[in-house]
This record gives sequence, C-alpha cells and structure tokens, in this order.
Amino acid sequence: MSDHESVELLLVEDNSRDAEVTIRSLKKHHLANRVVHVKDGQQALEWLFGQGEHAGRDRTSKPKVVLLDLKLPKVSGLEVLQAIRANEQTQFLPIVVLTSSQEEKDVIESYRLGVNSYIVKPGDFENFSAAVAAAGHYWLLVNHEPK
Amino acid sequence: MTTTPHRSTVPRIAGHPSAEEALHRTAALLRQTEAISRVGGWEYVVATNHLVWSEEVYRIHEVALDFDANDVTQAINFHQGESRQRIDLAFRRAVERGEPFDLELELLTAKGRKIWVRAIGRAEVSNGQVMRVYGNLADITERKLAEESLRVSTKEVFDLKAALDEHAIVAITDPQGKITFVNDKFCAISQYSRSELLGQDHRLINSGHHSKAFIRDLWRTISRGKVWHGEIKNKAKDGTFYWVDTTIVPFLHDDGKPRQYVAIRADITERKQAEVELLRLAILVKSSDDAIIGKTLDGIITAWNPGAERIFGYSAAEAIGRSMLVLFPPERIAEEATILAQIARGENVQHYETELVRRDGTRIDTSVTLSGITGGDGRIIGAVKIARDISERKRADREIHRLNSELEQRVRDRTAQLEVANKELEAFSFSVSHDLRAPLRAIDSFSRMLVEDNGPQLDAEGRRLLDVVCAEAKRMGKLIDDLLAFSRIGRQRMEDSDIDMTELARATFTDVTRTQSNVPRLELTALPPIHGDRSMLRQVWFNLLANAVKFSGKQAQPVIAITGSAADGTAAYSVTDNGAGFDQKFAGKLFGVFQRLHSEEEFEGTGVGLALVQRIIHRHGGTVAATGKLHGGAAFQFTLPKSINEKT
Repeated sequence: MSDHESVELLLVEDNSRDAEVTIRSLKKHHLANRVVHVKDGQQALEWLFGQGEHAGRDRTSKPKVVLLDLKLPKVSGLEVLQAIRANEQTQFLPIVVLTSSQEEKDVIESYRLGVNSYIVKPGDFENFSAAVAAAGHYWLLVNHEPK
Repeated sequence: MTTTPHRSTVPRIAGHPSAEEALHRTAALLRQTEAISRVGGWEYVVATNHLVWSEEVYRIHEVALDFDANDVTQAINFHQGESRQRIDLAFRRAVERGEPFDLELELLTAKGRKIWVRAIGRAEVSNGQVMRVYGNLADITERKLAEESLRVSTKEVFDLKAALDEHAIVAITDPQGKITFVNDKFCAISQYSRSELLGQDHRLINSGHHSKAFIRDLWRTISRGKVWHGEIKNKAKDGTFYWVDTTIVPFLHDDGKPRQYVAIRADITERKQAEVELLRLAILVKSSDDAIIGKTLDGIITAWNPGAERIFGYSAAEAIGRSMLVLFPPERIAEEATILAQIARGENVQHYETELVRRDGTRIDTSVTLSGITGGDGRIIGAVKIARDISERKRADREIHRLNSELEQRVRDRTAQLEVANKELEAFSFSVSHDLRAPLRAIDSFSRMLVEDNGPQLDAEGRRLLDVVCAEAKRMGKLIDDLLAFSRIGRQRMEDSDIDMTELARATFTDVTRTQSNVPRLELTALPPIHGDRSMLRQVWFNLLANAVKFSGKQAQPVIAITGSAADGTAAYSVTDNGAGFDQKFAGKLFGVFQRLHSEEEFEGTGVGLALVQRIIHRHGGTVAATGKLHGGAAFQFTLPKSINEKT
C-alpha cells in the first residue's frame, strides 16, 4: 500500500480469505500490480479522501476501479458507495460491488446509489476466481472512464 | 112584546091544589136542576116575536131576573165577533127554515166576563110553518178551560217529545221486554229500521260486553219501578259497537206493576273510546322505563311517572311541585331556560343527550325529548319531558371505545413486533448468506489453491480427500442457497399478473433440460391460464420439472406429462413422471424442509425444492398433493384459485 501513485484498484474487503483469493486471481492474470486493500468502509473513505491514517495522500491519484464488499465493519459498503457518489472528485469513480448478498434490496439499493456493476461472489473457487479476473480485466484494461 | 119570567108562565089550575102543588114542585125541581147543571132553557115564538128565558139563562148572562130579554137582537148581541155571526145565522135559519143548531159560543156577560156557552136550538114546525124555536143554553166555560189547558199541555208534551227525539235515543219497551217504540235516532245508531226493531227485545243489539249480573240488576231495578241509570255497550247491525249513556224509567199501572219502560239514551261512543285511549296512555306512561315528566313553563314539575322515580330516585310526592332545576347539574342550569323558551315558542326538542343529577347526587347520562302541552285554548301551558337512561349505552360505548383502542394498540404493538422480527430475519438471512458462505468459499478456494500450488506433491488419495472437502463445501453452499430462497419466498411481495401456464411450463421445461443429456419426452396439454406471481410460479414449475427430470433420469425412456383442468374458479395442474417414484406412505413428508426420500448417492438434492413449491402454492391460496409408487413414477398436483387470495 506504499505505492500510492500507481494504484489502479482499490479492494474494500473485510474477509481476508476472500481478499487473498481475489488478489491471487488478479495476480494470476497480471492485474494486481497496483492494488490497495482496505478492510473496512472507514479506511476506504479515508484512503480515497486523504483523511485520517491516509492524510496527505495525493488525492489526484484515483484508482481505475473500486471492488467494494457490502457487509463491512464500521462504514457499510452502501455508505461508502453513497459517499463516493456524493463527492465531486469521485462521483464518476467506477465501483464494482463484490458481495455474497443476493438480496434483491441490496442489488436495487446499489444501483440506486449508482454502482457500475454488481457481482455476487460465486461459492466455489473456480467461478469466484474467474469472476474477479473478468471484472479486473474489464475495468482495468477495457473500460474507458472520464479523466 | 112583553117579557115575563118563566116562573110566571106556570099556569095555576084552580080547584086542584095538589096538582098546583105538584106543578110548583116540578118548577122548583127544574130551577134546582138548572142551577146545578148550569143549563137554562129558552123559547122563541115566531108569531109573537116573543123570547122567553128560564132563570138560569138570566144567571148565565149575569143579568137580573127583571132584565127585559124579549129582543132577540139584544140577546144575540151578548155574543161578539165570529160567535155572534154564527148564532145570528143559525137562529135565522132556524126561524126561517126550521133548521136545528148546536153551537159552542163565546159570550160576554153583562158583567163583562167572557164565558163559553153551548146553545142548542130546535124549531117546532106545523103545516110547514115554523111556529117556535126553543132550546137550551149551557155554561161550558169550565169544560172549555179544561180543554184549553189540556190542549196547551198536550202541545207542551209534543214539543218536549220533538226536542227529546232531536237530542236522545228513545225506545219504549213493554213489561215483557218487547220494543214498542223507537225514535229515529235509535234507528240511526243501531242501523236497524223501525220495522226490524219493533216487537224485538234488546237482545238484538246486545254486544255481549256486559255480564249477566249487570243485565239482571238492570231488570230487577226497573221491574221494581225504580229508575236505572248506566252505560251500555250495544252492537249495531253491521257488527260495530256503540256506547250509550242510558236512563230507563219504568211506568207503572195503578197496581204497581210495570206498564212500560221508557229508555232514553245518549251516544257516548267517542267518550268511551277516548277513555280507553286515555287508559292506554296512562298505562303506557306508568309502565314506561323512561322518565315521563310534566312541567309548567316555569319549570315546575307537575307529573312524575314510576320511570322517573326509578331513574332519578325522587318519589312522585317529592318531585311534584319542585323545580326541574333539581335534576340539572350546576353547569347545565342555564340550559333549562333555553329549553323552556324553545318549548314556549312551540318548538319540540328531540333526543338531545345530557347529563342529569339523581336524588343521591350521582349523575346519569340521558337522552331527552321535550314537547309542549297545549291547554284548551290552544296555547302552550307546559311541557312533557321524556328522559331515557342511556348510561348503560354510554358505558358500553366507552367500553367499546376502550376495547377498540386497546385492540388498535395491540395491533400496533404486534405489527411493530412483527416488523422487528422481519428485520431480524432479514439481518439473519443476510448474515447467513454472507457469513456462512464466506468460509465455505474459503474452504473450496484454499483446497483448490493447494491442488494448484502443490498438486504434484499429493498422491491420488490426498487429491480424493481434497475433492471430498470441496464437494461437501459446495453442497453446503447449495443448502444455504436453497434455504435462503425458501426464506425469501415467504417474505417476498407478490406481483400479480395474468400468466399463460402452458407457455410458462414449456419454457421452464426447456430451461431445466438445457444441460441434460437424457432429455425426457414431454407430453404437454393446454393448461388453464392463471393470475399470480410469475417468478414464484416459474419456481414451482422449475422445481417440479427438475424433480421429474432428476428422478426419471435413470429410465431408458423418461416421460414427463403435464396436464391441467379448470372448474369452479379453481385451476388444477399436475406433473407426472415415470421415474423412481416413492412409497405413498411417505407422501406427507415430501413437502417438509430438508425432507428427502432418497440418499444423496441415489439422487442429489437438498430437500428444499418441494417445501418451496408448497410455500408458493399456499401463498397463492392453493393446495399441493403428491401420489407415487416406489419404482412406479410420481405425480404432483397443485391447484390455484382463479382469483388469488394471498396467504402468508
């Protein structure tokens, strides 16, 4: 997490196992060179807005995508999403929800708050790895976002 | 013409003193007879134009015996007016034609008294010549006066009778009770004609109202010659009844036996009806549960029924004469003046609810109605106040209100509890889906990563063991998914739409068999359409068809038949397969969560599918059933109401 300047993907995930599999999959597909992993919603916002622990961080450097879990300690994923969209500097930041929740209300609420993609974590290793790889590939390499 | 007193005309017969004496005696006897009977004699001799009076004639004319009566004209002149003309004419005819006469005439005596006389005249005729006219003169004044008096009294009786007939119902009955006379009013009120009544007795109009004793007393009274008075109810010809105030006066023979009974009656039917009406009203007032109170326009109590005693606790004696204000609570005293003013203006006050005060000071809820009482001249002189005790109703109202709000509060509490429970359940579901799955994913992922990174170092048994770990983790994940789906179905809001069940069943079958190698033959007939939640009913078809496919998968030629029918507002569907089937005695267990009739080795599954089917169908207000035979296939039926009535 030291290489702030070159961060391309922010992973917000409290489950270290899921985080490990996610990063392993990204690495395997050479997509994890500049990944920052934070473990709760508060850390995510502090990192993004250069506050608290991350005060002084160059906020002009934005990741290309945020992989956001919904069920997070302290500040929930939906609150993080809402805060990102509410801020002028981060309002267009691509956000992909990566969650175990298939609850329709979570899906709807995420889209209402302006999520770019919603992925339900597959229960098995192969599909989970594949989903993470596909999302990373798409948002880091294929997608074009506003500067 | 000379006049000689009659006496002097008696001849004397010489030499016959006894004869003379006898003659004298006869003359004296005649004089006495004349005086007693007041009849005199007279004679007129035509040839001599000589008129002779007997002594009594002098007395009748009230002239002295030396009065010169020889002038006929003078004698006639004692009569006046019509009497004079009549005697003049009659006398002349007697003299000229020999006609007799007999007249009753008025006569003015010499003393100026008017008397009545009867003058009888006869003519003596000889050879066609009237020789003389003679006759008598009787003083009939007494008889005439008696006649006149009788005439006057008879007239009075007739007048009285006419007046009585105008006023009263009159009948006369003989001692045997037979009607001998009825007046018009009797006929009118009884509706019988006179001919129908005469000769009948009073049983004809007997109403049957009176007791035998009453009738007996009546007859006993009048047959003893006493007047009977009473009120009798009679029956008219048309069967209607009328009341008559009756007086029966018995008239007796000299021997004291009844001669006839005169009954005079007055029609009192209206009064009797009014009496009955009043009696009924009095009973109503007395027996009313409501307080019925009379008061003057000054608010002084004038009447107080038992209802009022019961409701307010004052006896009639205590209440009458007091002011109505004793019934008013202090804060409502002013109301009474307003109400009395309204009544005085002729307005009625209907059903207003107010609190009044009892004798013991407690208060009572009442519904009050007031109306004016008018006096004989039509002016309002007081009011009737009817107060109904509605404290029971008020208490009930308050109780209902209290129960209602209690119930509402309980519903609110229960709803809040349910909302909390729902929220907890949602949180639980979320945490199950999130937290329970994460470790499973980790188990699978890390096992796979071990194989990826260190696969070559593991022997076949080591890899098999890891595969088991992964398979069990996967199965656990599936269980969690199904359980979540089951829980979601119960909470999910139903979205109704018209559904083509034939199309939905066919499309779902296609989905179910997409990855299937041994696709069963589908026999699908047209299914009745239904109104329901499309995604839920798709789940029903999916689970039933997936089951059918799964359990018929080991058949050489699997067949799945889908049929449907509709009747009485209910649609019925069935899915039949020729697969493994089940023992019918376990049919009841099929729809329980996690209930399975086959081992995981035989047929994989979590045991949630049919429970989910049942839950969806029940939410639609339908029913599910299963029939099967071990190794003989299974059939699942479900029904749905045409118009759904959601159940949770």
